[in-house]
Amino acid sequence: MEQMSDVDRSIAEAPLPTVKTLRRRKSLGYQATRFIAFNFRMMKMVTRAHH
Amino acid sequence: MARVVILGAGISGHTAALHLQRQLKSKAEIIVVSPNSNWNWIPSNIWVGVGKMTKDQVTFPLAPIYKRKHIGFRQAKAVAIHPEGSPDNPQGFVDIVYTDPTRVGEEEQLTYDYLIVATGPKLNFAATPGLGPDANSWSVCTAGHAEQSAAALETIIEALKAGERKTLVIGVGHGTCTCEGAAFEYTFNVEHELRERGVRERADVVYLSNEYDLGDLGVGGMIFAQNGFETSSKLWTESLFRERGVRAILRAHVEKVDPGVIHYEELDGSRHTLDFDFAMLLPPFRGVDMKAYASNGEDITEDLFAPNGFLRVDADYETKPFEQWAPEDWPKTYQCPRYANIFGVGIAFAPPHAISEPRKSPNGTVISPAPPRTGMPSGVIGRTVALSIADRIRRGDQATLRTASMAAMGAACIASAGTGLRKGSAAAITMYPIIPDRRRFPGSGRDLTQTSGEIGLSGHWTKLLLHYLFIYKAKARFGWFVIPE
Repeated sequence: MEQMSDVDRSIAEAPLPTVKTLRRRKSLGYQATRFIAFNFRMMKMVTRAHH
Repeated sequence: MARVVILGAGISGHTAALHLQRQLKSKAEIIVVSPNSNWNWIPSNIWVGVGKMTKDQVTFPLAPIYKRKHIGFRQAKAVAIHPEGSPDNPQGFVDIVYTDPTRVGEEEQLTYDYLIVATGPKLNFAATPGLGPDANSWSVCTAGHAEQSAAALETIIEALKAGERKTLVIGVGHGTCTCEGAAFEYTFNVEHELRERGVRERADVVYLSNEYDLGDLGVGGMIFAQNGFETSSKLWTESLFRERGVRAILRAHVEKVDPGVIHYEELDGSRHTLDFDFAMLLPPFRGVDMKAYASNGEDITEDLFAPNGFLRVDADYETKPFEQWAPEDWPKTYQCPRYANIFGVGIAFAPPHAISEPRKSPNGTVISPAPPRTGMPSGVIGRTVALSIADRIRRGDQATLRTASMAAMGAACIASAGTGLRKGSAAAITMYPIIPDRRRFPGSGRDLTQTSGEIGLSGHWTKLLLHYLFIYKAKARFGWFVIPE
């Protein structure tokens, strides 16, 4: 069980998102801007993959 | 008129068929052979598996599309390739056996001028005793499997509502599995559903994987630049597991699944058991069972196919240590080295090696992810090979083949962590290149300006948009070709 304990410990020590971060992840306005930004980035990548 | 036969109608094979038809119109006869009558947008199967979509929302019949596009369709499975033809006729042909309910068991020989092998994977449940929906665990690999999983999950939720405690294990069912991303998605969609249904506190959710670290996803993990720091996909994923209270068992090879008990070996060689009430464990993949014969009848299966059953293409298959793996090992044109008119695309081509570092337990058990080559790379490769073949049909065999190496290609991956237009979330990831190149990009092997990850509601919107967009494209509706792969 030693390896499993390592994994459990690693997860337990991982950073937790703050309330502000969690709120931002659900904020319609902020997420709308992220939606545009990510899709723009994805399109750049796709365009590159096609050439 | 040249004839192109495409074995398989998944993302890669179907993409190749549509592009070939668009390029060549009446200059070639295109025939697709697929044992399945439906096309399936597999990335959305995880939503079928939690009852948020139906099977009909992620599948559609292929025959009407092919009829409209003047593409031949045989609902059949290919059982053998004869690349040199027969002693009487040197033209290559494939033996197919119909699975079409009106012709089931009938055999046919299909000659070809060009052959695209896009047969995808065989879901190798048999590699782990007790694995799979016909035995003791569930799957979301097909829409039908996902429906079964949803029904089983519903039973568990009813028991949780009645006050019982339950353990749900989701992950991969063998040390050499790929598609850890799908297991990750299903884990968090189930966890999300349990919260939505108000029964989360009575459920233990466990992610069981062959990855060395969380966030490996079969691509060796990623490094992202965020807020002025370089952060790893490991830390990023661990944070999500902590936030959502999901336990993880990593570096594990599932040896056997008994009713309610998973037996697994860890990388240190230790063996353990894990009791469960619900288990969705993805199977390892191998190539479909297909033989190959020379014109004199000699069995040349081992010349065409790698030991894992996938088609050998223009990759460097020399066995070499992890430190010597190079981006150039990966195929560029996907042409079969021995027969210039055969190509392997999507999951059907044999990768030269893994992407994640290979590891073995002291007992000699391989416990490390196989390389993923689904989704976007599959579509791009299918399209590229279609354009190469179209060039050769139009301009002759001297036309230069087009290239689409995964070492020169980026990918976008949207890993759902729960559905809902207001409450959903997903990890939206981009990476470039898919195959790390540590000479070009010292350190992580990837371009930090193009490798990124973020979690939020917008990721869910993107995944949902892609669901509708790619089904529209696969149905070959007006302007389908404008939508990139």
